[in-house]
Amino acid sequence: MKYKITAKVFSFIGFVCIAVVNLVPFVWGLLTSLKPTREVAKYPPTLFGSEITPEHYISVLRGSFSTALINSVIYSIFAIILGILCAILIAYALTRYKFRGKKFIFMMILFGIPLSMGSAAMVVPNYMMFSALNMTNKFYTLPLIYTAYNLPMAIWIMVGGMQSIPYSIEEAAMIDGASRRYIIFRLIPHLSLPTISCAALMIFIGAWNEYQVSSVMVASNSLYPIQVSIYNYIGYFGQEWGPLTAATTLAVVPILIVFTWLGKYLVSGLTAGSVKG
Amino acid sequence: MDELKRKKYLHKILPYLLSFPSMVIIVLFLIIPLVYCLYCSFWRCDYMDFSKFVGLKNYIDVFSKEATITSLLVSLKISIVSLVIAIIIGTLLALWINSANGRFAYILEIMILIPWVTSQVVAAMLWKWLLKDETGLINYIVQQLGHEPIGFLSDKNIAVVSLIIVITWRVIGYVMVQLVAGLKAIPKEYDEAAMIDGVNKWQMFWFVRLPQLKTPMAISAIIVALSNLNNLTVPLTLTGGGPGNATTVISILAYRESFSYYHFGEASAMSIALCIMNFILTVAYVKAVKYEI
Repeated sequence: MKYKITAKVFSFIGFVCIAVVNLVPFVWGLLTSLKPTREVAKYPPTLFGSEITPEHYISVLRGSFSTALINSVIYSIFAIILGILCAILIAYALTRYKFRGKKFIFMMILFGIPLSMGSAAMVVPNYMMFSALNMTNKFYTLPLIYTAYNLPMAIWIMVGGMQSIPYSIEEAAMIDGASRRYIIFRLIPHLSLPTISCAALMIFIGAWNEYQVSSVMVASNSLYPIQVSIYNYIGYFGQEWGPLTAATTLAVVPILIVFTWLGKYLVSGLTAGSVKG
Repeated sequence: MDELKRKKYLHKILPYLLSFPSMVIIVLFLIIPLVYCLYCSFWRCDYMDFSKFVGLKNYIDVFSKEATITSLLVSLKISIVSLVIAIIIGTLLALWINSANGRFAYILEIMILIPWVTSQVVAAMLWKWLLKDETGLINYIVQQLGHEPIGFLSDKNIAVVSLIIVITWRVIGYVMVQLVAGLKAIPKEYDEAAMIDGVNKWQMFWFVRLPQLKTPMAISAIIVALSNLNNLTVPLTLTGGGPGNATTVISILAYRESFSYYHFGEASAMSIALCIMNFILTVAYVKAVKYEI
C-alpha cells in the first residue's frame, strides 16, 4: 500500500516536470504575445500585463504574415493531395504486383526517407539544381519540394497499410465486375482511410514546419511560407518580441489542434518501420 | 484475341505506370540534386557560374581550413551528446509510459511528443525568448534563487550547452514514441515467463526487454543522429552560430558559404561531406528497418 502511494507521488512529480519543460516555452510565448507593447520586455517579468490585448496579433495579421499563413495552407494542401495520390498508386503497385525492379524501387524509397530528413545536406544541392533549371522563386517551387521531402515516408506508411488489406476483397469486387480503376481510386482508398490520414498528417507536419530549404528557394513576400516569415521577424523587428511571439503562437496552433485530434495516427506514422504490423 | 493480348500487356506495364509519378518526384528532387552537387563540387562555381574545373581543390581548400574542422567537431559533439541523452531519457520515459495505463499514458505520450511536431523555428525562437540574458524568464528565476544571471546564449561554453538542451528537448519525444511502440510489441508471454523465473526489475529490462528493443532503438538513434547532424534551423535561430564561432555547426558553415558568399563550389564540397555521413546513416537505416516486399 505504501509502495503504491509513493509510486503515485513520483508519477505526479514526473508529470509536472514534463509538463513544465515541454509546455512552458509555448505558454510563456502566449502570455508574452498578449501583453501591451511597453510591458513585453518589462523586468522583473510578470505573468500578465496590465491588460490583455490582441494588438500584436492584429499588427502581425495586417502585415505580410497573413499572406505567409495562406501560402502555407495552400502549399500544405497541395503537398498532401499530390503526395497521397502518388503514394496510393505506387503502394498499390508494390503490394499487389510482382514485377522486375520492384525491389530496386522499394530500396530507393527507403533510401529517400532518411535522405529527406537530412535536409541541411540537401539545401545546397536542391538550390543549385532548382536555380539551374530556373525553378526557384515560383509559385510551384515549395509545394513540389514539400511533396518530394515527405513522399518517401508517405509511401512507406501506405505500403504498410495496404499490406494489411486482404486481396480477397478485391477479388470479390472484380468478380462483381468492378474495374481496375474503381479498385485503385475508390475501393482501396476507402479501405485504407486510417492509413491515408496518417500519411496525410505526416506530410502536413513536414510541409508546415519546413524552414531550411524554403528560406533559400523563394525570395519574395508573396511566396514566403509561414516559417520563413517568422524567421524574418528577427530582422524586421529586432528586439520586438510581442509580434514575434504572436506569430509563433499562430504558427503552432494549427499543429497542436491537428495533433491532439489525430495524435493516434501520428504515433502510428512515426513508428512505421520500427515495429511490424 | 487481340483484346486479351492488350489486357495482358496492360497488366505487365501497369505497375510501372503506377510507380512512375512517385519515382519521378523522388529521382528529380532527391537523387539528381545530389549528383549535380557532386559535379559542382569539382568546379569553381562562384555565383552559380561554372568558371573552371578544379578537381579536388574545393575539398582540399575546405578541409584544410581550421574553421571547417572546428565546426565539424562542434557538429559531432553536439549530435553525439544530444543522442546519448535523448536515448537515455527516452528509454526511461518509454518504460514509464508502458507501465502507466489508459488515458494518463496517452496524455503523457502526446505531451512528450509536442516538441517533435512543432517547427524548429518556433521552438528555437521560444527558447531564445526564455533564455535571453537580460530579460529572459529563466535568468529571472536564476536570480531569484540568489545566483548571478547566466549567459545562456552569450557565454561561449554555456551557449553550446543551451544548444544541446534545445536540440535534445526536440528529439526525446521521437525516441520515446519508437520505444513505446517497441515495448508494446513484445509478447506478454515473455514478461510472464521471466516473472515465473523470478527476475528482478533490472534483469527484466536488461535481459528480456532490451534485446527486443534493438530495432526501434537503432532506428530512433539513426534518425536522431541524422536530424541533429543536419540541424541548421535551431542553431541558426537560437544562437546564429555565435558567440564567436562557438556554435557554428557544419550546416551553418555550408549555408553561409553558399548564401552569404555565393561560393557554391566550396559549399557543394561541404554538403557532399555531410552527405557522406548521411549516407552511412542511411545505409544503417535501411539495414535496421523491418520490411517485407
